[in-house]
Amino acid sequence: MKIILLLGLLSSLLFSDSLDALLQEYKSTSDNSLQTVNEKIGHVVIYSQKEIRLMQYTKLNDILKELPLFNINTNQFGLTNYSLTGSKTTTSGFFRFFINDHEISSGYDQSTSLSWGDLPLDFVDHVEIYYGESSFSFGNETGIYFVRIYTKSALKENSSEINSWIASKGANSQSFTNSASFENGWSYLVFLNQEKIKKTTIYNNQKLNSNGTKHYVYMDLSDETNKINMGYTDVSKNNYTGLAFDATPDSGKSLSKDFFLNYTHYFLEDKSLKANLSVDVNDRSYDEVNTNLQGIAVVPLITFSQYGPPSGPKSYSEDLRFIKTNAYLSKSFDVEDNSFITALNVKNKTYDVQNRESNTNSDIGRFSTFDEETISSVLLQDSYKLKDDLILVANTKLDYYDRNAYLKDSSETLLRFGAIYTPTENWGFKSFYTQTAIAPSFYNVDYAYKSAPALKSQQYRFYTLESVYTQGDSKFGITYDHVSIDDFIYLSPVGFINIDHTITSEGILFDYEYSFTDRDKIHLNYYTSTLSETINNATKGGYIKYMGGYQKFDYFTSIIYRNGYNYESLNIPNSFDMSLGVTYHVTKDLSYSLKANNILDRSTQSLYFTNLGTHFFALDDNDRSITFSIRWVF
Amino acid sequence: MRVLIILITLLSFLSSENYTFLVQPYSKEVELEAKIIAEIATASLHGKIKLFIPHITVMEEKVYSKYFTLSPKCEAANFVFVNKNLENETLCDNANRLFFTNNYRKLLSDDKYFGALFWNKSRPNIVFIQKRLEKREIELPKTFDQFVENF
Repeated sequence: MKIILLLGLLSSLLFSDSLDALLQEYKSTSDNSLQTVNEKIGHVVIYSQKEIRLMQYTKLNDILKELPLFNINTNQFGLTNYSLTGSKTTTSGFFRFFINDHEISSGYDQSTSLSWGDLPLDFVDHVEIYYGESSFSFGNETGIYFVRIYTKSALKENSSEINSWIASKGANSQSFTNSASFENGWSYLVFLNQEKIKKTTIYNNQKLNSNGTKHYVYMDLSDETNKINMGYTDVSKNNYTGLAFDATPDSGKSLSKDFFLNYTHYFLEDKSLKANLSVDVNDRSYDEVNTNLQGIAVVPLITFSQYGPPSGPKSYSEDLRFIKTNAYLSKSFDVEDNSFITALNVKNKTYDVQNRESNTNSDIGRFSTFDEETISSVLLQDSYKLKDDLILVANTKLDYYDRNAYLKDSSETLLRFGAIYTPTENWGFKSFYTQTAIAPSFYNVDYAYKSAPALKSQQYRFYTLESVYTQGDSKFGITYDHVSIDDFIYLSPVGFINIDHTITSEGILFDYEYSFTDRDKIHLNYYTSTLSETINNATKGGYIKYMGGYQKFDYFTSIIYRNGYNYESLNIPNSFDMSLGVTYHVTKDLSYSLKANNILDRSTQSLYFTNLGTHFFALDDNDRSITFSIRWVF
Repeated sequence: MRVLIILITLLSFLSSENYTFLVQPYSKEVELEAKIIAEIATASLHGKIKLFIPHITVMEEKVYSKYFTLSPKCEAANFVFVNKNLENETLCDNANRLFFTNNYRKLLSDDKYFGALFWNKSRPNIVFIQKRLEKREIELPKTFDQFVENF
């Protein structure tokens, strides 16, 4: 009898334990954020909810700055900007960012950094970063790297949350998130944030700063077949080195306001027919005063004189408005071992100069007559399961660019072939060949070299090979990539030009991670790359990061490396950006965190120039600082 | 059945989390949901469980069939798990079957349901309503007490 009782007790204990344990495992599985990954669209790195928490990533740039084959810099306006390895670009068109289904780059220069680069992660569930061409799957703008930001699910949150941080230099941020789900299947999530930006540097005995404020509003309203997303952000800040010939303007400010509305609807029982409509409005204002002899280097307004140095206006201001509207329709279907996705996409972009003036001309108006573009695209993807362990993927996309003004209408054919081979549970191979084109933006055309204003699309061809081996709790990966670019659009001191030769870049990266437990992990990454051009940014890099937890504490440490290089007369040293942090969970719903950033004060540096590129200098990208943050869920 | 669930759960703890590429549709969350529902169903009912999920997806069908005998019709089932929004609710309704939902508000407003598995503050929760358990003469193991609420 006793034995039976004991067995009964044991089984009931196991029973309840298993239900509790199952709930715990259900949560930790959800925190691993693997539910949206799509291996067919490129080589992917996932930043899960668990990793975002443990590593104390508070902004999108905290994640992006450790990405391999990628450099993150501060540009002349004090904004973070992304460049491919070895090169530094002022604005970059080859990175595409999506908040859920919505692509968020600027209608002007295709860059994301002004409004969205420093996106707070308080309302983000996870981030997937793909090395691949996004427009094959989402019918949007073309690019090489793409970052998918998934917001938290209202169904899983069902709560309110306050997040706040303050850094030792005075920067601070406050966020509020609220979400709820209803009986009828609808749910909503609202996110509000404001942030104070503090960044100052000394150059030439003058203080440069990009201090300012940011606001973000995001709303999601969804049920099983509808998703309505709305985003708004404004950023108002000082302009750092600005456009001044001497890189030290007397004063200057930029203000950018972005708004988007995105609606997705799924038709049919299996949700295989998807329609998406969106509109983006971006207002941006810029003003600068520089009263020294040469003034401000606004490329189209520079006067070249035989007798003296080139000069520009002493004061300059502009108010611009960009509107993007997009319609997308896709259908997925299976025929035997083939899975097809086919889609149509139409996008219209307009550019309106509301005001542009200088001290000598109160009505400059447009720099070029190019102010409208409509892109019509059709795309098809087939993934064919040749064998259980071998999937072949093929994509094609036709883009037709209908432009006003002197830029010719053009069409581009984009192609991709690839294979995913998983011969055993431990081995995986993936390879893609991609051919894509990045069209010139309004910004490129505005600032084009006056003698050759008809810029052509940049042609990218790249192939990649990735191999992954797992054994127990270890995972080891190697990825090789080869990129060649024709007609690269480059910002020369006299404006944008198409480079007349093929640029090539090659890279190899090694990645190793080992999980000690479900909570403790070490991750190592190293890459090296070559570029056929003069190098003006890091070409090698890597990181070591360790994250873990014990009882009510979570902790991490990481060191991000970028190699040094020489450019002109400058010697840029190696960078070792080391941070460490700890989180104390007072309860399940309340936690405090402390984080030390750039402890060794060996930040990456970015290059700047004065006098149309006759003199170069470098400034640190990040300060050494301590951040204290709090998270409260209720 | 219970032993089987425990064994599968223990085995899944032992096996490594690592994967090379996630080529197949990711089913682990559905898998865990299915295990939890299986625990609840076996604790609530005696005898063989015939589960009905309205508008069941292909993946759910594949996963849930590992733990349950699935019934294509509500009438033939003795356990109904409603995890989607049903526009014109046409579920069969009588004393011969138990109804469980994934929507807490639905649980509060509709006394057809005896419990719910839902998310709150990014954590999964289970709630059973005491009165409805009594009405249906369901005796849950003592260890389920933490999930039972008296409204």
